[in-house]
Amino acid sequence: MNDPVIEIAQLSRRFGAKDALAQVTLTFRRGGVYGLVGANGAGKTTLIRHILGLLKAESGSVRVFGLDPVADPVGVLSRIGYLSEENDLPGWMRVDELMRYSRAFYPQWDDVYAEKLRGRFGLDAAARVRTLSKGQRARAGLLVALAYRPELLVLDEPSSGLDAIVRKDILGAVIRTIADEGRTVLFSSHLLDEVEQVADHVILISDGRILISAPLEEIKRHHRVGGRTPSLEEIFVSLAGPAEEGGEPGAKAG
Amino acid sequence: MTAARAIAWEFHRRHRVASVALGAYLGVFALMKWLILGPGAMIRLDPPNGLAGFIIAPVSITYFYLVAVFSYGLSGDLAARESIFPRRILALPVSTRALAGLPMLYGVLACATLWLLTAALVRMMGVDVYVPWVWPACLAAAYLAWTQALMWMPYGFPGVRVAVAALWLAVVDALVLVSLNYRASEWTMVAICAPQIPIAYLVARYGVARARRGETPDWERGTRRSADGPKAAAGRRSPRVFASASRAQTWFEWKRHGRILPAMVALVVPVELVLLFVPGNDTAPVVFLTLGVVLITPPFLALFAAAGVSTSTTYLMTRPMTSASLVAAKIRASLASTLVAWVVLLALVPAALAVSGTLPVFVERVIAFDGAVGHARTIAVAAFGFAVLFAATWKRLVQSLCIGLTGRDWVVKSAVLLALVFLVAIGPLLDWLRADIRIQSVIWHALPLVIAAVVLMKAIAGAWVAARLARSGVIADRALMTGAAGWLATVLALYGALVWFADAPSIPRYFLASIAIVSVPLARVSAAPLALAWSRHR
Repeated sequence: MNDPVIEIAQLSRRFGAKDALAQVTLTFRRGGVYGLVGANGAGKTTLIRHILGLLKAESGSVRVFGLDPVADPVGVLSRIGYLSEENDLPGWMRVDELMRYSRAFYPQWDDVYAEKLRGRFGLDAAARVRTLSKGQRARAGLLVALAYRPELLVLDEPSSGLDAIVRKDILGAVIRTIADEGRTVLFSSHLLDEVEQVADHVILISDGRILISAPLEEIKRHHRVGGRTPSLEEIFVSLAGPAEEGGEPGAKAG
Repeated sequence: MTAARAIAWEFHRRHRVASVALGAYLGVFALMKWLILGPGAMIRLDPPNGLAGFIIAPVSITYFYLVAVFSYGLSGDLAARESIFPRRILALPVSTRALAGLPMLYGVLACATLWLLTAALVRMMGVDVYVPWVWPACLAAAYLAWTQALMWMPYGFPGVRVAVAALWLAVVDALVLVSLNYRASEWTMVAICAPQIPIAYLVARYGVARARRGETPDWERGTRRSADGPKAAAGRRSPRVFASASRAQTWFEWKRHGRILPAMVALVVPVELVLLFVPGNDTAPVVFLTLGVVLITPPFLALFAAAGVSTSTTYLMTRPMTSASLVAAKIRASLASTLVAWVVLLALVPAALAVSGTLPVFVERVIAFDGAVGHARTIAVAAFGFAVLFAATWKRLVQSLCIGLTGRDWVVKSAVLLALVFLVAIGPLLDWLRADIRIQSVIWHALPLVIAAVVLMKAIAGAWVAARLARSGVIADRALMTGAAGWLATVLALYGALVWFADAPSIPRYFLASIAIVSVPLARVSAAPLALAWSRHR
C-alpha cells in the first residue's frame, strides 16, 4: 500500500540562468493525494513534465512505477492519467472520436465508466472539441484521463481559469479517484483552498526549491500560532511570499 | 510614443543585431576587397564570379530574413489555418488599416533600402553589368508585400498558406522574367512592380480584418458530414473500435494531416488541366507538356503539405507510444495521403483528356512509343515512371520529419533559410557551370569521385543515425535490422530496374548503382524517431 509510485532524487534543472528545479528530492506513495503548490513560475509544471518524461533530468533521477519515464515512455504513460493546464486536445475530433481514439491506448479502458462520466459532465458525443467551452474541454480532458482508471492521476493546474462548477467536477473526480483504492493523485494548483479540501500531503515549491513536503495536518500543526490553526494560504504567504526587510522567503521552512 | 513608432521600435529592437551584422559584414568585405584585390578587381555578375557570391549570398539571406521578420513568419505557425498575424498585436487599439499598413510600410522601406545599399556598394566596387537602382527595389518591396498579404490571410485548409504564397510569387516572378526577356525598360519594370504594392496592401488589410474578427474558413467542413447537429448525431453509426494503438494513431495522423495533399491536388490539378481546353492546345507538345506539369504537381505540393506532417504537440507526446511508433504512424498516414492524391490525379487526367478531345493525341503518341520499344518496355516505363513519381511524393512528405519533429524553432528556420539560400545560389551556380567549359571538363573527369563522395556521405550519415538509434534504444535492434534489410532490398531492386532500362555501354554501372543508393531515403527518414525523442524528452 505504501510503496513509492514516484521517486525523485536530487533533481535539478536549469533554463538559461534560472534554476527551474534545484536538488529536488521527493517520494510519492501509493494511495496518497499530493497537492503541489507554488506561485507562477515556481517549478510546478517543470516537475510534472519530468514525471511525464517530457523533460530529461539534467542531474538527479526520476523513477515512476520504478521506471525511467524517458527510457520507457510507454510503460509510464500508459499508467498515468494526465490533464494539463493547456488542455491541448485535438479540436477537430468529436467527443466520441476522442473517446474511441483514447481507448486504443489503454487496455484497461472502462467503456461503462467513460459513458457514465460523459453523461455526468453533459458532453455531447457528436460535438467537436473545438466547439466546446473552456470548461467543457476541461471536462472532456478529465474524461479521457479518468476512463481507464489510471494508477496515477496527474493534474497540472486543472482549475486554472475555470468557473466554480467545473472546478467542483474536477475536485469530485479527484475524490472519486481517491475512493478507488491504491490510486495516487498529484495535482498542482495555486488555488490553495482546493488543495486544502482534498490533499492529504502538501508540497510547497518556490523558485525550484521544495520548501515543505509534509502531510497537511502536520504542516498546520507545525505552523499553529497561539492556538489558532492558520489556513494553507497564510502558511504559503508566510513561507513563499515577498521577503520582509532582513528576512528571506522560506525562512520559516522547517 | 505613438502606435506607429511603437510598432517600428519593436521591429528594430528585436532585429537590430541582424542589420548591424550585415552592415558590418559588407563593410569588412568592401575593405578586404579593396586591400587584397585592389580597387581594379571587378565584381562579375554575368556570369557571377566568386567575388559576386560574397555579395549575393549574404544579401539574399538578409532579404529572406527581412521577409520573414516583417511578415511575422518567424513567430507564426505557417501550416495553421489561422492567420499568422500575432494575436497580441491584433488586440492593440489601432485601426486595421494601420495594423496591416505599418508593418508593410516598414518592410517595404527596409527591403528597398537593402537593395539601394547593395546597388550602391556594388557600383562603388565596380561591376561588369548595369545595376539598376529603382525597379529591383520595387520588386523586392512587391515580393515582401505579397508575402505579408498571403501570410496574414486565414485559410480553410492547414498547409495551404505556403502553397498559395509559393504559387503566387512564382506568377509574379514569371511576369518579371517575361518582361526582362522582352527587354522592358527600367520604368516599364517599375510600372509592373510598383502598383502591386497597394494591391497587396488591400489584400493584406482584408486578411488582417478577417483575422481580427476571428474569421477562419473551414473548407474541410464541406468534405465531411455535418456532425454537430442532433439530426446528424441520430443518423451516425456508433464509431468502430480501433484494433490497436498504432491503428488509432495512424487514423489520427490521417485525419489531422493526411487529407491535405489530396485536397491540394484536387484544387490545383484541374486548374492546370484547363490548358487542355484552350483552343489550339491540342498539339502533342502542348498536351505532353501539360501532362508533365500535372505529373510533377503532387511531389511539388507535397513539399508544402510536409510542413503540417512534421508538427507535434504536447498532446501527441503524452501518448503512451514509443517515438518510433509515433513516427511510423506519420509515415503510414503519409503513404495513404500519397496514394489518395495519386488516385485523385489519375481520375482527373483521363477525364480531362477525354472531355477536351486531346485523348487521341495522347493515345497516338503512346502507340508510336509502344511500336518503337515494345509492349513490355512501354508497360515497364509507365510503371517505373509512376513508381518514381509516387515515391518522390511520399519522400517529400516524410523527409522533413527529422527537421520538424525536433520541435526546435531554430532548427526549422535554419533549414528553411538554407533551402532558400540553396534556391538562390543554384541558378547562378548552374549558369557559371554552363558558361565555363574548363570547369565542366574538371567536373566530368572528377565525376566518379563526386559520386563516390555523395554515396560516402550518405553512408556515413546512415551509419551515424543507425548507431544513435541503437544506442538510444529508440528503435529495437530487430526493427533496425529489418529496416536496413528493407533499404538494401529496395536499392537492389531499383538498381536492377535501372540496369534493365539503361543498359548502354556509355552509362557505367557504378553510376546506376549510385543513383539507386542516393534515391532511396535512408538517413533523414531514419533520423525522425531520434528527432521526436529529442523533442519529447528535452
